[in-house]
Amino acid sequence: MASVSVIADVADKLASLPDSSAVAMRLKSEQYFDTIQGMLDRFARKKDLEVVYVTTTIPSQSIISALEVLEIPMDHIWFVDCISQIMMSQEKRHPHAIIVESPTMLENIMLKVEFVLRKHPGRNALVILDSINSLAIHNNTKILSEFLHILVNNLRSRGAYTVIFSMQEYETEEIRNMLVLVSDETIELGG
Amino acid sequence: MPNKERDDDERERCVTGIDAIDHILNGGIPRGNTVLISGSVGTGKTSICIEFLIRGALDGENSLYLSVTEPTEKLLENVIPFDFFDERLTKQGKLQFIDLPKTYEKLGIDKEDMDFDQTRLLADTIVQVVEDQKIRRLVLDSVTSVCYRIKDQERIRDFLLRLGTELSAKGCTSLLVSEIRSSDEGYSQWGVEEAIADGVIVTGNLERRGDLLRTLQVVKMRGTTHSRAKYVLDLTTSGVLLVPLLKGGSVATGG
Repeated sequence: MASVSVIADVADKLASLPDSSAVAMRLKSEQYFDTIQGMLDRFARKKDLEVVYVTTTIPSQSIISALEVLEIPMDHIWFVDCISQIMMSQEKRHPHAIIVESPTMLENIMLKVEFVLRKHPGRNALVILDSINSLAIHNNTKILSEFLHILVNNLRSRGAYTVIFSMQEYETEEIRNMLVLVSDETIELGG
Repeated sequence: MPNKERDDDERERCVTGIDAIDHILNGGIPRGNTVLISGSVGTGKTSICIEFLIRGALDGENSLYLSVTEPTEKLLENVIPFDFFDERLTKQGKLQFIDLPKTYEKLGIDKEDMDFDQTRLLADTIVQVVEDQKIRRLVLDSVTSVCYRIKDQERIRDFLLRLGTELSAKGCTSLLVSEIRSSDEGYSQWGVEEAIADGVIVTGNLERRGDLLRTLQVVKMRGTTHSRAKYVLDLTTSGVLLVPLLKGGSVATGG
């Protein structure tokens, strides 16, 4: 059952931030779908943002199915799916999902984000990175820090919001340091 | 004596229209340069060249693609369907395609081994087309195939020098596609091409922990300062996109 307080909390906290903010979103596993709903259904729709959702945790089709249940329109939501290919997923591919072969292909993630943003010039964007914990499974700290640094600064220069998910249960000291380095704000969801 | 930076400022640029390449080159290819686009198969050479010509034609510059290795119809069937491509460009003659084997036939060049006179005739014919059609951007795909028919290094040198000098004098910026094997050292089949060209852009494949990344690196470009770093390339319907190659990870093999 959805937690209205989490959904509203996420939307309100993001709305209070200036444009181009890079945010570390520290959440617990049980808050996952409420957080997504708060970002996509409340925050992004209200601000009329183009959303690029980079998933390295669960296949895009699973998230899309959840969005359909929640009746969240997909018109302005695009997925960069870095996990379906390595899972050899046979699920049908949504027209708004772009596949990156593996979460180790960090440059290709940047390229696909760039591709989506170029397809929608003149629209402000929200780029969601889900999640730093799963990226850290596949990449070493050095290359992951470099990736985040370049991606976040590039998005900041374009005026886009960046939200980096971090699952509190799986955080390490290294991940926390990385988040501090690249983000302007940390939102910690209570409960 | 003008310093290097002033030279950069003063040299007119041919803005490729591929944003990242223009950024790497501090504004574009110096106008009139002859640039070798060198790489193994499937690394994006032809896509880069086609985008260079389409962007130029869209910007009002007459552009010409000389195809040696495959007929134009087949090339256009296989090329990425760029969002920005406008069919009117070909109908208006802003973007032209010529199959070089047909030119060989017209010129009576039917031998596998071109002699000195035939080599000069070919260079002069290309230059004449550039002059007649007021071509500002030219792609020769591939110079390697042409050189296979010339064979002799001295004649190759003469052909490339003549072509490069004449095209430059006419303000035509040229990309010469050089096909190399990934195992090859150097940037061209004969070694002459890279020495004569004003610029060398290398495309390649980089294997990193089992992933194969397309890469691009500007090795040489006369008339401008430029980045010499390696970039990762993506061929998309929005055009060629580049991002810096991340250096934090261990790299298994070069490319």
